[in-house]
Amino acid sequence: MKMRGTPLRVLVLGTVAVLSVIYILPVYVMVTTSLKTPLEITQRQYLAPGGNLQFGNFATALRLVAPALLNSSVISVTVTALSVFLGGLGGYFLARFRWPVTKVIFVLLAIALYLPYQAVLIPLVRIMATTKLALTHFGLIFSYLILNVPLASILMATFFFSVPRELEESAQMDGASRLQIFFRIVSVVALPGYASTAILVFIQVWNEFLLALTLVTPYTTTIQVKLNDIKGSYVALYNLQMAAALITVVVPLTFFLFLGKYFIRGILAGALKG
Amino acid sequence: MNPTGLAARLARAKEAAVFVLPLLAFLLVLYGMLAWTFYTSFADWEGTAPNYTFAGLKWYRFMVGLDRFWVDLGNNLRWLILGVAPTVVLALFIAYLLEIGAIKGIEAYLRTLVLYPAAMSFVVTGTIWSWMYQPDRGVLNTLLRAVGLDALTSGYTTDPGTATYWLILIFVWQYLGLAVLILQASFRSVELQEMVESAMLDGASRLRILFAVLIPNIRGGILVVVSLLLIAALKVFDIVYVVTFGGPGYATDVLALFQFIATYQQHLVALGSGLAMVIFALAFIIIIPYTVYALQRWFE
Amino acid sequence: MSNGATKAPVSQIVVGVVIAALVAGVAGYWAGTQRGGGMAKAEERKLEIFHWWTAGGEREAADAMFKALKAKYPDIQLVENPVAGGGGVSHRVVLQARLSANLPPDTWQTLGGAELKSYVDGGYLVPLDSLYTEIKYSDAIPKPLANAVTIGGHPYVVPLNMHIQNILYYNKKLFDELGLKPPTTFDELLAAAKAIKAARPKMSPLGLGTKEKWEAAFVLDSLLLELGGPEYYVKLYKGEVDVATDPIFKAALDRLNTLRPFTYQFHAGLTWDESCGLVVSGDSAMVIMGTWAIGYFKSRGWNPGVDFGAVTFPQKPDRILLFHPDTYGLAKGAPHPKATLDWLKVVASPDLQVPTDVTQGGLFARIDIDPGQFPDPIRQELQNYVRSNPGKLILDQHGSIAPFSFTQAYWDVAAAFTAKPDVAGTVKGVNGLFTTYKVQEGAAWYQWP
Repeated sequence: MKMRGTPLRVLVLGTVAVLSVIYILPVYVMVTTSLKTPLEITQRQYLAPGGNLQFGNFATALRLVAPALLNSSVISVTVTALSVFLGGLGGYFLARFRWPVTKVIFVLLAIALYLPYQAVLIPLVRIMATTKLALTHFGLIFSYLILNVPLASILMATFFFSVPRELEESAQMDGASRLQIFFRIVSVVALPGYASTAILVFIQVWNEFLLALTLVTPYTTTIQVKLNDIKGSYVALYNLQMAAALITVVVPLTFFLFLGKYFIRGILAGALKG
Repeated sequence: MNPTGLAARLARAKEAAVFVLPLLAFLLVLYGMLAWTFYTSFADWEGTAPNYTFAGLKWYRFMVGLDRFWVDLGNNLRWLILGVAPTVVLALFIAYLLEIGAIKGIEAYLRTLVLYPAAMSFVVTGTIWSWMYQPDRGVLNTLLRAVGLDALTSGYTTDPGTATYWLILIFVWQYLGLAVLILQASFRSVELQEMVESAMLDGASRLRILFAVLIPNIRGGILVVVSLLLIAALKVFDIVYVVTFGGPGYATDVLALFQFIATYQQHLVALGSGLAMVIFALAFIIIIPYTVYALQRWFE
Repeated sequence: MSNGATKAPVSQIVVGVVIAALVAGVAGYWAGTQRGGGMAKAEERKLEIFHWWTAGGEREAADAMFKALKAKYPDIQLVENPVAGGGGVSHRVVLQARLSANLPPDTWQTLGGAELKSYVDGGYLVPLDSLYTEIKYSDAIPKPLANAVTIGGHPYVVPLNMHIQNILYYNKKLFDELGLKPPTTFDELLAAAKAIKAARPKMSPLGLGTKEKWEAAFVLDSLLLELGGPEYYVKLYKGEVDVATDPIFKAALDRLNTLRPFTYQFHAGLTWDESCGLVVSGDSAMVIMGTWAIGYFKSRGWNPGVDFGAVTFPQKPDRILLFHPDTYGLAKGAPHPKATLDWLKVVASPDLQVPTDVTQGGLFARIDIDPGQFPDPIRQELQNYVRSNPGKLILDQHGSIAPFSFTQAYWDVAAAFTAKPDVAGTVKGVNGLFTTYKVQEGAAWYQWP
């Protein structure tokens, strides 16, 4: 639906200009800050770029965050893989077994989708600690799984709804079991749905802060905790923090830019939580 | 196979089990934890050591007796209204503008522009915005002074009267891109495009097309955006934590931050659990429309 | 109903169970390897430590601590869990989670006083009477410091320093230029502020940053101490003063309000270090801050006695030093109690205290260390004063005397007052806090003198 007209063109360009300023200014501040010396940071000249550009800050920051990046990758990838797998099973149940109890399960899932983490934080930490999982990567992995499997199930259900039933019925005639049908036919057809769900779960886990902070250990520090940590509490090393942030934002940004299509499909499918 | 027979039902249940059991296991743990927090809010846990002695409404009474609780509730309402309504309206405007008048290349540019904050950690965006707002040396006031608009300079987040609104603006900034994308995607259905084309042929004005054709037909998309924003606004924590830490005083405090402070700094765990339950209750109310909508669409 | 139809779902369930078991198995294996099997062997020479000294001068102080440990016990393997955040905000989240789950680190950083008491009340710390006797630590530290780490008659932690809260830092060159004397009373402070304002109209004479809230209470504390004297100060935070009708508390708020026009206006956006930065950048000329600010000024290239000076504020009616210590204790159920006790002995020793405290900014906990070990005249003088007047030390509200739940809420009210000065409302609010958080009950443990 394209329309024409000079006033419209002016309006578009005007909007683009205003938005550009509002969205580029913070990035500009980020970049200039990341290149400053600690002394320039303490002078709090937020707008002015530093006189002596410290490109070495990026090397330092990368060295500091490298282990955390690895931790976050291990945790996010594992959670994503397990979430889409388990969520796929659950989603198939929601989509194909239309019993009264399915509605109940759906409502329980919908509530879980929007559950504020604070509401389960204390018991969760207690469980993780009692099972001795709290000190391992698996503590965070398991916690994120509990919180993300409901999300993955609902998202996958919406994709399975759109898979034609006829496909399954003909396979059933050929004597395939439900599980075979699920893995060999339905999942294959709904592959884009898996991609969408995976991206959503990945971004969510990658950016999570509160739980990661609560379950932090020296070996499992995630990137978000590290980002908060890196500036310290004394002489704030904002230059390193911003350099590290610029390095780490590459991961989710790549996802957004190249797989944005799937991302939006995922959101529209189930309305993710914040 | 007889679909009504007991044996067949059992077979079907067994068939379903492998799909639903893992899900049920996770739900059980999740709701178990929720029940645990719920009970803790009625317990007498004060101090660092767990104390599950039943204390009835003691800590809820304590909560409603605190001035801070009501300040927080008021602030959360501000976030819910001002964080969501302007974002949706702005996003609709931008999405529509892109849809009808996009100039080649600009759409991809704008999309990247407004979307990158969504990929960034709140800790980082919060820090940057605290520098934008900083009154004497910060980016905004420095720029305003440079172009001679001294009258527009402001104390931003250091002024207790307006601080919350400036925080909400960061939220709008961060979520606008996501809202635009979702709305744009929901414009794209074939039926809707056809309806717009025919309205254009009938000579309907652009505004009429927006209000009479587009908006009524993307209710689902709008509902998704609104639910998403409402929940994010309700749970807001990081922005407040990083930019003002609830200050000046507790002028910008919100329930989630107070929950954190009460539980981990004041060691009033029962109070913290009660606050978590208040947040949960609000979230529950907010998602009712979405749940009803989804149930209707999927199961009717 | 064919046999095959019932068989298939069963096999599917089996598949599900196998997958679940596999996942659990991997989890268990992972858990085992990550934990290093450390739980079983109690005698392993390992020490897990939680602290919040993570960056800038504090990181170097932490390194100094661990260097001292390594020098004495090279076999102890250190597992650090530093969590950043002003004064240990995030640190407490992690710690609380670990403690309430019976998974304590061996030792962790805590302030003395009420924060310590909350851990003792929770049953998370082991009393250290025998360690104190063995190394005669009670004799080495001032009595008020020993009292601040003694709950119910038992010492629970080993302090490694004392931070003094009521210090006023000033731009020495500016003061010399304007012919000003560093203020030690409220009247002198006001006069100095007026003189600076007259000479440098663009300056906010008194720097302040209240983002973390406690900074506001520091200034209020100094005013309260001058108006009410030491006995009043202790009584107030023990909840024995009726704030609603108390003229002193109201007068202190009035004085804080009087200073308002001379105070940095946008304090709500600054943290404590940034507020000290105001003095360095020339936006302000004075700031009231704890001894840790010395380390900050030095990191900015400012030399004590040359670029900046420091005085105890106030010095009327008496020169009282409000203090709180950084301390370490032994966790109940600590995985490595022997290594922890070795660590605590190092904490108590001059070998650790001298390099750590010189770097980080506080005073030595031991008063038998030569004050000349400090490179700056400010702390030499303070340490000398403590040495000859240990009775002039009072545990501050920051550390604190009153329960921690109260203190947190009190900071908020104090910070709110600096942003929006409503004397009657603040009096009412603070009065309510004393009853709400049952301060009288919670602070009864503290005795002074």
